[in-house]
Order: sequence, then structure tokens, then C-alpha cells
Amino acid sequence: MSGAVATQTSAPARTDEAPRKRWSPNRLAGAAVLGAWAILFWWLLLTGRENLYLSTRTQWVVPVGATLLTLAAIGRLTTARTIEPEPVRRGEAWIMGAVVVPVVLVMALPPATLGQFSAGKRSGFASAGVATSAGDISSGELTLIDVAAGQTSPEGERALAARAGEQVVFVGVVTRYDDTPADELFLTRYVVTCCVADATIAQVRVVNVTPGTFEPNDWVEVTGAIYPIGREVIVNATQVVGVDRPERPYLTP
Amino acid sequence: MERLAAPRTGNATMRTAVAVVGSLAAFALLLQVAEPQRFAWVQTFFIIFGSLLVQALPFVLIGAFASALIEVFVPIGALERLADLPRPLQLPAAALAGVAMPICECGSVPVARRLATKGLLPSAAVTFMLAAPVVNPVVIASTFVAYRGREAMWTMVAGRFLLGMLVAVVVGWTVGAVSKDGLLKPNPEEDRAHLVELGRPEPRWRRFFLHMGNDFLFMGRYLVLGATFAALVQTFLPASWIAEVAALPVISIVAMMLLASLLSLCSESDAFIAASFVQFGPSPQLAFLVFGPMVDLKLGALYAGTFRRGFLRTVVVAAFATTLVATLWLQVVTG
Repeated sequence: MSGAVATQTSAPARTDEAPRKRWSPNRLAGAAVLGAWAILFWWLLLTGRENLYLSTRTQWVVPVGATLLTLAAIGRLTTARTIEPEPVRRGEAWIMGAVVVPVVLVMALPPATLGQFSAGKRSGFASAGVATSAGDISSGELTLIDVAAGQTSPEGERALAARAGEQVVFVGVVTRYDDTPADELFLTRYVVTCCVADATIAQVRVVNVTPGTFEPNDWVEVTGAIYPIGREVIVNATQVVGVDRPERPYLTP
Repeated sequence: MERLAAPRTGNATMRTAVAVVGSLAAFALLLQVAEPQRFAWVQTFFIIFGSLLVQALPFVLIGAFASALIEVFVPIGALERLADLPRPLQLPAAALAGVAMPICECGSVPVARRLATKGLLPSAAVTFMLAAPVVNPVVIASTFVAYRGREAMWTMVAGRFLLGMLVAVVVGWTVGAVSKDGLLKPNPEEDRAHLVELGRPEPRWRRFFLHMGNDFLFMGRYLVLGATFAALVQTFLPASWIAEVAALPVISIVAMMLLASLLSLCSESDAFIAASFVQFGPSPQLAFLVFGPMVDLKLGALYAGTFRRGFLRTVVVAAFATTLVATLWLQVVTG
């Protein structure tokens, strides 16, 4: 490939005079696709919407992706003037358009997070090792990650049980199932390790809730006493208030 | 664009370009007007679809970046030196090289493709491609973190590394002595062009950006396709269905391999999901961790676009059989 120029030609190559360079539709179209994706990544970064798709530990891919995509788009644009411009096949043009569809989709839709619909389809968060390294369950402020991870090992269950009756404050999404009594709700928070596709749930059952005050998918802050009973964790609420969706709606283990 | 294109050749004209851009604009408008996110499943699908792409796309680009570096800066035939190694060592050496490639499975496909075109044994390129997402340090570290504090921690960490190497070597061996033309589909971006010497050679940086863009555009379309399938499955598949088969010895392993393929998770995060299936023993979880980064929905689309017909079947059968036998053996040994 060294010293070669990619070209489509039916005429003999002429090397005795400097050939004229023209814009290559194929390379321009490719630069446009790369540019569209670069815009999406800059937009995610500037609006903070990366929080809706990635965990804090993988959010570095957004600035890196934005920078690389911008470089790639500019780099391709600089190669777009060539001696023998390559055309874009009609089918190829539509495929390139299809590659840009996710960009339109993400930018056109209002911000949203996983909610009630996914709660029954996701497995529970389980990594005792993560929770115990983040903060010993037996002391310090209890988080939903501690609670969820504490339910998956005998040591965790014992440590959690020892804290029965303590006051906690949890923020999450209201979830209700068919058999959930009117004066109860499940408080769900999704735990995301890399991206939302790997989301698992941390969930507690909240009792002593005024019936009819909150709908599924509402964000609420629950204050109350925690009572771990076996693998189930109950919070006897003293206060449940509606709150705005947090800036970082997903927890990172 | 119109001036350059002859309609009979099927080339895009300015009218085509306007139609494509217009369709995208109409799609954006439709999203605003129809508000499809009112339906919970549609909203969930969009969120998962978007997150899969936002996470995976930079890795594809990094893979294309590495691929372009190899194309432009590695001399033709340099990788053929691996063929000087004794034959039984060639594939394990390729698998071990995966340790030096800390990217997930989407990025390893363009790199493997480029390695094969640059003279690496095609079977070794396949072995590298399959091993890298399983045995690289980032993935092994995430497996360690996910299982830290568990009795089976070292079984999972060491098992993932060793079984990942084994399966990658076996698949490479199964692919056999196929030529690169017998393995790889031509890339239309590059195949359309003839290579002709015209005046001064193009500077390396120009060729670098050209190859990087070509690889990205080639892989990107398959990633979008694969992410669509994976997001649909993730939207509708209840995890509890899989949990119901946890007690069945062979079925549990098969179920976890199937689940890993359907979920199409990044290999750097899948250990946390595997660890959440506490109903399953170490063997099914290990099967999930090894088989998933080698065969899943988004990879299936990437493989179908990169490799010739029959390759996907070979990978699926060989990886499935090896993973199943090895994890069954582990199940017997560990009780």
C-alpha cells in the first residue's frame, strides 16, 4: 500500500503532470458521519446527559470519544480532496444515513431513565466485595448499594441485621407490582457498572406510605427506620417526599 | 456530487444526499411530535440502545485507530514472523498477545481484521480477536472486583483467563489454515478502489485517517445493527426466566451462555452481571464470562460483516462446545 493512492480508474494513470485534485463524495460523506457522532459526544458532555447512559467509572469514554471522533472527522476531511474521487453508491448513502439515526434519536428525545418497566426484568445487584470495600456495612451511612450487596452474602446479611432500627435516607424511583398494598411501595435504584445495558437493581420495600400519593416512576426521598428481615429489607417510612431526578440517576458500585 | 455520478452506475446523486438528510430530519420531527417514549417499553429500548452505542462506539474507534496504525506503520509481512514459531505455539502466542490489548470485544474485531490483512496467520488473528476481550488486564481486574469476598473468587478470575485462552485457541485451531481471502469479506470502502501509483505517494497521516475512517464506518453499521437486537432483547427478557433453570446441571450452563449472547454486555462489565446471578454456581457463571465476549448479538453482526459466510457458525459451535465441556469438567471437579 505504501506509495499508493486509492482510486477508481478506467483510464491509464498519468504521472507526467501534476493531476488535479477534486472533492471525493465518499470521503466527504464519511467525514459527515464521523462529524455527526462527534457532535453527539460533545453534546452529551456539555449537557451532562452522559449520566443517563453511563456509570461514573466509564464516563471518560465521552470526552475521549468526542475528541477522537472530532480528530477522525477532521482528518478524513483533510483527505477528501483526491486525484480520483470515489463516488458513494446509493445503497451506501442510505446505510451511512442509518448509522446517523442513533445520533438523531439520542438528541431528539427528552432525558429519561430506566423506571418501573425494567424493575421486574432486571436481576438484583449482588457484589459483596464491592460494598464492603466501599464502606463497611456495619458502620457509617447506609447506602442502597450497601443494602443490596448486604443481602447477597451471609456476612452481609448479619452486618445489615445488626443495624435494624437505624434511620436511613434513600432516594429512588417508585415501583409498584400487582400485589403491592396501597400503603406500601418499592423504592428502586438502578446500579450501573459500565452502561445502562448492565443495570441491576437495588430495592427496598417501603411501608407506612400514605396511599395514592405517589405514582410509579416518581422520584422520591424516603426517610425512616430500616429493618432487614432475611433477604428482604423494609424501611418503615416517617417521611416520603417527591424529589427531582438526581443529576446522577444511576448508582455506581 | 451529481456531476460526478452517473445514474446508471447506482451512485448517489445530490438528490440521494438530500433524501437521506431529509429522512433524518423527518425522523427527528416525528420523535418530537409522536412522543414514542410515552410507551414504557419504547423508552426503555431507546435508553438501552443509546447506552450500548455511547459506550461501545469509542471503543470501535479506538480499535479503528489501532487498526490504522498497524496498516500504515507496520511493514507488510512483519507479522508473518509469527509463522516462524513452532506451530503448536503460534495460536497460544496470539492468545497471550491479547493481554496487551485492553479494549473490549467491539474494538478487537477491526484490529484482528487488519492483522490478518497485514500477514498474521488468519487463525492466529481470530485467536487474538477472541482472547483479547477476555484475558486483558482490565477485564481480569473487573472480574476480581466483582467476585471479591466470594469463595469462588480465584476460580472465577483464573478460570476466566485460562478458559478464555483455551477457547480462543480451540476456535483458532478449528478455523485452520484458511487464507486471509478465505476468511475476510472484502471491505467495500477499500475494495472499490484499485491501487495505482500516481505521482508522489500520499503522506502517511493521510492514509492513516483514511483507513481509520474506513474501518470505523465499516464496523459502525454492524454495531448499530447489533445494538438494536441486543436492546430489544434487554427490553423484553426477564432475568427471572433464566434463574428458573439454575438447578439443572447442563441446562444451567447452556442457559447462561445463551443469556450472555443475548445481553451483549461489554466484557469489562459483564462480571458484575454474572455475579448477580447468585442462584448459579461458578461453572455457569464462568461459561457466561467466557462465551459472552466471544459470541453475542452485536458481535454476530460485526462478524457477519467482517468475515466470510460460515465463520460465525464455526465460532459459535467451537466456542460453545469448548466452553460447555470445560465448565462441565469444572463442575465435576469442584462438586
